[in-house]
Amino acid sequence: MSLLLVNTSFSDEDYVNKPLLDEITQKYKIFAKKRFHFLQETLNSVKDKSDLEKLEAVNTFFNDVRYSSDIKIYKMRDYWATPWEFLGKDMGDCEDYVISKYFALKYLGIDYKKLFFTYVRSTKFKEPHMVLTYFETPRSEPLILDNNNHKIFSASKRKDLTPIYNFNGDVLNQIGKDSKKSHKKWDQLKLNMQRKKI
Amino acid sequence: MTLFKQIALILSLFLLIILTTVLILNFQSANKGVQDRLYEDAKNTATSLSLSLGSANGDLSMMSTMINANFDSGNYRNITLIDVDNITLYDRTIEGDITAIPKWFFKATKIEAPIASANVSAGWSQVGILKVQSDATYAYKQLYAILIDLLISFGVIALLGLIIINLLIHAILKPLKEVQKQASAIMRNEFIIQGEIPYTKEFKDVVLGMNNMVSKVKAMFDKGNEELKMHKELEYIDQNTALKNRQYLIDRLPEYLKIDASSKGGINIIVALSGMIEANEKLGHQDVDKLFIEIANILRSSSKIFKNSIVARINGTEFSLLLPDCTNEEGLELAKNIYDYVTKIIKDCGLNKDETFISLGLYAYIHTDTIAQLFSNSDNALAQAKFNKNNIHLVKTENTNEVMGKEAWKKIINQALFKNRFSFVSWSVINTKAKKLEHHVLSINLTLDKSTSYSYAQFMAPAIQAGLSSNIYTNVVSMLFKTPTMISSSSTYSLRLPYEYLDMKETYEEIRELLKNKALPFKLIIEMPDKLVRKDSQHIKLYKDLFQKYDIEIGIFEFIGESDDYQYLQELRPAYIKAESSYFMSQSAQSLSALRLITDSISISLIAVGVVDIETVDALEKKGIHIIQGLATELIEV
Repeated sequence: MSLLLVNTSFSDEDYVNKPLLDEITQKYKIFAKKRFHFLQETLNSVKDKSDLEKLEAVNTFFNDVRYSSDIKIYKMRDYWATPWEFLGKDMGDCEDYVISKYFALKYLGIDYKKLFFTYVRSTKFKEPHMVLTYFETPRSEPLILDNNNHKIFSASKRKDLTPIYNFNGDVLNQIGKDSKKSHKKWDQLKLNMQRKKI
Repeated sequence: MTLFKQIALILSLFLLIILTTVLILNFQSANKGVQDRLYEDAKNTATSLSLSLGSANGDLSMMSTMINANFDSGNYRNITLIDVDNITLYDRTIEGDITAIPKWFFKATKIEAPIASANVSAGWSQVGILKVQSDATYAYKQLYAILIDLLISFGVIALLGLIIINLLIHAILKPLKEVQKQASAIMRNEFIIQGEIPYTKEFKDVVLGMNNMVSKVKAMFDKGNEELKMHKELEYIDQNTALKNRQYLIDRLPEYLKIDASSKGGINIIVALSGMIEANEKLGHQDVDKLFIEIANILRSSSKIFKNSIVARINGTEFSLLLPDCTNEEGLELAKNIYDYVTKIIKDCGLNKDETFISLGLYAYIHTDTIAQLFSNSDNALAQAKFNKNNIHLVKTENTNEVMGKEAWKKIINQALFKNRFSFVSWSVINTKAKKLEHHVLSINLTLDKSTSYSYAQFMAPAIQAGLSSNIYTNVVSMLFKTPTMISSSSTYSLRLPYEYLDMKETYEEIRELLKNKALPFKLIIEMPDKLVRKDSQHIKLYKDLFQKYDIEIGIFEFIGESDDYQYLQELRPAYIKAESSYFMSQSAQSLSALRLITDSISISLIAVGVVDIETVDALEKKGIHIIQGLATELIEV
C-alpha cells in the first residue's frame, strides 16, 4: 500500500470534545485551550492527506512540546501521561510524545496495527528511550517518529538507536479474552484515558 | 408448629442463606483471584520470553528451543508463537486431563486460564506475537482446597450460629414457655399463679391477666369450699351432740345397701331415750343437754371398733348406730354395754331409771335391704325392745330363699373367670337440658352359655360373699384393655371400679401394665368412689398421673359431700361427680350453690344417679342438675 493513499476512516468528531476541553481550559488555563485548538487545526489540515503527511504533521506538532522528566512533572520515576496531560502541561518525556502521536494518528484514521511503541537504546545519550514506529506493512522497514530527532527517518537511517522491543497494546488487547489487560503501563494509560485524566 | 420452631426455622434459614451467599461470594472471589494469578504468571512469562526471543534475530530453531525451555520448566497449558500473518510458527500444548481433583468439581468450576500475549520483534522488524496460557491444574487444586476450607469453616460457623440462635430464642421466649405452661394449667383447671413476671411487655400483660383470672377462680373455689364446709356442718351435724344427723345417715346408706357393697350386712341399732320430759323437769334443759352429750360419747366410743360404722342422732330422743360386719352376738353384747353405761349415767344424774331409761332395737340388716326396709325393721325392733324386760331386742333378717346356694354361685363365678365369660353392657347418661348423650356407663354380665346369663345385680352379691369380686374386676379390666374392640363405638364410656379393688396395691400395677400395651379406640372414664379419692393419698396421685398420661379421665361416684375439705377435687379434677338423686334432692339451695361454686370453677359436671321417674327428673332440673343416670333416661328422647 502506498504512503500517499488517503485514509478515509477519519472521525467527524473533534479530537478533544468540548466538555473535556472546558475542563482542560479550567485546569491549564487559556494557553492550553489554544494548544488544543492548534492541534485540532493541524489534524483537520491533514485529515484527507496520506499517511506520510499525517505522520509528518503529527510528529512536527508534538515535537514542539518541551521535554521534561517524569520526576520533575509528576514526582514519579516513570509515568505514562494521557495526551491531554501531555499537551495540557505542554511538557513530557519520550513515552508521552509516543502516546500522544499514537492516539493523534489513530484519530486521523491510521491503522493502529501499523504503529508500535518501540523501546530503544540511544547510543548518543547512552540511555533508554522510546520512539513511535510506523510499519507500512508488517514486514516493511519501519519509519521512526522520535522526539529527539524531529525528522522522520526509516529505521536503517537511525544508527543512533538500538531497537530492543516493539509492542502495541491495542493489538495485544485483541488477542486475550480480557481486553483490559495486555501491558501494565498501557493498561493503566487506557484506564486513565477512560477516566478522562487531565 | 410452635412459635419457637417457626422463629428458629426462619432465623436458621436466614442465617444459612447469608452464610451460603457469603460462601459463594468468597468462592467466586477466590476463583477470580486464582484466574488473575494465572494471567499475571502468563503475562510475566510472555513479556520476559518475548524479550528473550528478540535476541534470536528471527531464528525459529533458536526461538523454539527457548520456548521449550520455558514450557518444560514452568506450569503452562500452551505457548504459541504466531507470525505477523497470523501463521503459527511454533506451538507447545500440555497433554492429558486434570486428575488431582474430583470430576464433579472440575465440571462445576470453570477456570478459564487467560491468554497473555506479547509482541515479538527482532531488531526493528516484527516477528509476530507470543501467546502464553498458564496450566490451570494448580489453580484447580488451590481452588478445591479453598472450597474445602470454606465449607469446613462455614459449617463450623453455621453450627455455632444455629446454637447461638437456639439459645437466644430460648432466652427470649422463655417467658412464653411459662405463659404457655400457665395457659395449659388453666385448661386443666389447675390454679397456677406465675411468680416470675416477664420483662417483655406483651408477655407481662398476658401473665398478669392470667394471674388475675386464676386468682379470681381460686378465690371462687375457696369460697365455695368454705361455704360447703359450713353447710355440711349445718346439714349433717347435730349441734347439741356433734354426732351426725338423720340426713347424713340417709345420704350414706346407699353406699351400704347396694349389690356390690363392701360389707354384706351388719347390725343397725336404734337407741331411744324415754322419760325426757321428767328429766327436763328435774334437771333443766342445760343438764339434760349434757346428759345427751355423754350418751353420744358412749355411743361414739362403743361403735369405734366397727370399721365404717355410722353413729347419728335421728331425732330429739333417738340415735342410730349402723355397724357393718357386726354379728348378732356382738350387737347384743354391745347393746348390753351401752344400756349399762347409760343407765349408770342416768342414775348418776339423780334421775329415776324407771322413768328415764333407754331402749335398744337391733336389726340385723343385709346389703340387699332398701333404706325403707332398714328403717321399718329397726323401728320394729325398737318397739319390741320397749316392751322387753331388758329393753333390748334383736330382729333378724328374714331368710330369703336363694335360688342357688353359695357354693353353686362360687362354682359358676370361678367357671366364668376361667373361661372369660364376662361381657359388657352399657347404659346411657343423658343431659336433659341439651337433650344429648353424655357418655355410656359400662356394666358387666355373666354369660355361662346361650341360655344362661346373669346380670351384675344377680352375681355380684354372691361374688362378694365368695371373695371373688376383685378377681372379676381384674378379669373385666384386662378384657377391656386387651380386647377394646368388643365395645363397638368410638364414643365415651365409663367404668365404675369399687373401693376394695382400687385399694389393692396390685391393681395399680395391673392397670399400668395393661395401659402400656394397647391404645383404646374410645374415650374412657374410670369412676372411683368418693370415699377413696377424698383421702387424697399417694395412691390416688399415682392413679391420677397414670390416667392423665393415657388421656383417661376420672369420675367420682357415691359423692355425699362429707369431706372436711374439698381441695381434693381441685387436685384430682374429675370430669364429673355422681351422687344419688336423693342426695341432690335433700340438699338445701345454699348447699348446692356452694357445691356448684366449687365444681363450676374447675369444670366438674354434677350427675344424679338412680333417677327412676320423670317427676325426679323435673325436681332435679329445678335444682340445676341436668345430667342423669338411671331408668328415667329411657323416658327422655335424645
